[in-house]
Amino acid sequence: MAEAMPKQTERGLLVFAIWATLGAAGLCFTLEGLSRDALMLALAGTGAVVAAFVAHMIVNWVYGQGFTRGEATLGIGAYGLLALVFVLAWLSGGVDRAGYLAGLAFFGTLGFGFVAYLAARHGLRGTFSQFHVHGSATGEPK
Amino acid sequence: MGGITTWLPLFALAYLAAVLYWARVAAVENGNHQSFFSAGHSLAPWISTLVIGGAALSGWFILGGATEIARTGFTLPAILQAGVVLALPGTILFKRLWYAGERLRLSSQAELFNAHYRSPALVAASVAVAVIFAVGFAGLQLRAVSVLVSDLADGAVSRAMAGLVLSLVLFGYVVIGGLRAVGYVGVLQTVLAAAGLAGLAAYALLDAGGVAALTARLAAFAADPASAGLFSVSGVIRFTAGLGRDETAVTPTALSSFGLAVALLGFQASPLALKLVLSTSSPRGLAAGQTWVAACVFGCLILVGVAILGGVGLVNPAKAPSALLTSLSTVSPWFGAWLVIGLVAGVQLVAGLALIVAGEGLVRHLYKPYFHSRLDRRATVVLARIVIALLALATVLMEALSPVALSALAGLALPLAAQLWTPLLGITWFGWISRPAAVLGVGFGFAAVLLTEPMGLQVLSFLGLDLPWGRWPWGLHSAVWGIAANIAAVLILSAIPRSTAQTSAAADLRRFFASRLAMPPRARALAAAAWSIGLVWVFLAVGPGLVFADVAFGRPGSGRGWLTGLPSIWAWTAALWMLGVGFVWFLAYRMDMAAPSHVAIAPYEPPRQLRPDQRETERARLRTAGITVAIFASLVILVALGFGHLAAR
Repeated sequence: MAEAMPKQTERGLLVFAIWATLGAAGLCFTLEGLSRDALMLALAGTGAVVAAFVAHMIVNWVYGQGFTRGEATLGIGAYGLLALVFVLAWLSGGVDRAGYLAGLAFFGTLGFGFVAYLAARHGLRGTFSQFHVHGSATGEPK
Repeated sequence: MGGITTWLPLFALAYLAAVLYWARVAAVENGNHQSFFSAGHSLAPWISTLVIGGAALSGWFILGGATEIARTGFTLPAILQAGVVLALPGTILFKRLWYAGERLRLSSQAELFNAHYRSPALVAASVAVAVIFAVGFAGLQLRAVSVLVSDLADGAVSRAMAGLVLSLVLFGYVVIGGLRAVGYVGVLQTVLAAAGLAGLAAYALLDAGGVAALTARLAAFAADPASAGLFSVSGVIRFTAGLGRDETAVTPTALSSFGLAVALLGFQASPLALKLVLSTSSPRGLAAGQTWVAACVFGCLILVGVAILGGVGLVNPAKAPSALLTSLSTVSPWFGAWLVIGLVAGVQLVAGLALIVAGEGLVRHLYKPYFHSRLDRRATVVLARIVIALLALATVLMEALSPVALSALAGLALPLAAQLWTPLLGITWFGWISRPAAVLGVGFGFAAVLLTEPMGLQVLSFLGLDLPWGRWPWGLHSAVWGIAANIAAVLILSAIPRSTAQTSAAADLRRFFASRLAMPPRARALAAAAWSIGLVWVFLAVGPGLVFADVAFGRPGSGRGWLTGLPSIWAWTAALWMLGVGFVWFLAYRMDMAAPSHVAIAPYEPPRQLRPDQRETERARLRTAGITVAIFASLVILVALGFGHLAAR
């Protein structure tokens, strides 16, 4: 009598659950570190976000999938926006030492992790192809 | 970087977006109205497992349990033993109930009662319990959270407005996605609530100066004769007239803990938990869910998290749980907002589940079969949505207008649900429990609960009958009085030779259980050991054995202090919790009570019967029901006018 529940739904629920806990904890610790000028707290936030990514990838592996297009867009978009805010804040002198180091650790770790993930998943050549726009037979971009 | 009034709305918006997203996914997967009530029996086992655990944990343990410890100390160890106590019924009942539901193609407790006992009274009892959970139990928790949100917003949001918004969100996702949405959103709510409890406990510990500082303060408290009683149970039993009649009834005894444990047994016997079990695609997760999720993980969260929150509030009343959240929101608004959302999520989880089960019960199990059998599936779903809206509205109104009545109603939910144990045992293990025995057992149980709870006492007082006892005579929870009356009635009636034949569905289930789910010889050989271990565990963990708990691991002022550094009663509870997890594992796996059995389940084919036109009968039934309600209301008013409060005016 039972119908099967879509695997995509199960995976999505797990991903939401991971980010609702580890992601939110990462955000809170980062903010706490920045507001108190406490590097270790901010690094704990970075650690929590990295842990969320690792858990996300484990879920992807269990369900035999990669990041969805929406997840990739959201992740890269959020990364870019936060990086922009960080650079602007740094240029305007609004970042103290702990914030500066925490920001570098955050963006550096996530950036390196992202490239390492792509390299592990697609290989170096494949990673480049993820961003390279191929020309189609008609000469128009695909 | 902004205060709580900035961060709370931000986190609330993120939560709302996630809730509505999953409600939409659920609605799309439902496709149409066919699977609104039971998610097409497709919920993954891990989802049901998590959501049942989360609903049992709910906001009550996070705020209610911790507040109780902050107020009365460690005098009710059953609070901290809740993980194991909540897991036991699931271990004993869920597997067979899942197979019964699968065999008979049923998806709710009321349907099981109807098929097995053919008893409208038991169906009504199950629906009544669901409604009380939806309006009373969940309503009281929603009120507590509304008050908290309003206080945190510094009055910018009124309590009524906070309650209304929370109820609107709740109503929204339940009517959009039905039970499937409750399951999907429930996963998020469970992890948020668990994270909220863990986070708040961690903050409480940091704020108190760490484990050593907290235990030192607790030891100082325990060494002071004025507060030493907060670390021990006050004897086995005290024969008092009950709360409100006898001042000495306030101090809990060992059997008060036992009573609370019996009440907690009610959650897994309630129609809420069974709705999730019967909507699950497979029984594979039952054993692991009860053993490792409910008893082990959630049990540990309660044992450690709730105890820390309560302990901090005990040594410093200014740091009681809700005050602690306010203080956290001041120093760290983002953490405060996240943890508040966790609490809201925990409360909405049980409220959403209760709403869908109550709505289904009122429409599908009462109205449709007895008053309007031609109602098609689509109309049934529409009507259920309207009823859910009305229930949510009733909850909001009661929160705002009559919090005392809401509190009294909430107090009935768990003890009344505990009375459904006997008919459930009749379905699963004790086939000799006949229909009259089950019905009368539940009836007597309900009566005994009502006579020992403020709601029943107030109603009788309104009618002019003041009983000589108060709430919980002898310090025993109303659930115990109810279950004692219930079991007595069941045993007496079952001893009388049966004149009523079993229904064909009940007979089929008995054959099915005997042929496919019979206990293996290995488990049969262990039955005596299981009974013995169970009785010893109950005696020591939540029974009279608790009188040893305050000295078993040392005592401050005795020279040695506490052997583990923790209050002796806390350490005792922790030790018994570990044994309890082992006991649940033993029952689930070694006794084969929850481990899945790989058997093919052919659907039961009921004898074919012609269905005569019911319209005239239903119209007559509706008239009779209307007249009965009118006569009953008139009688109540007359009695109140003649003998009760109205006469006194």
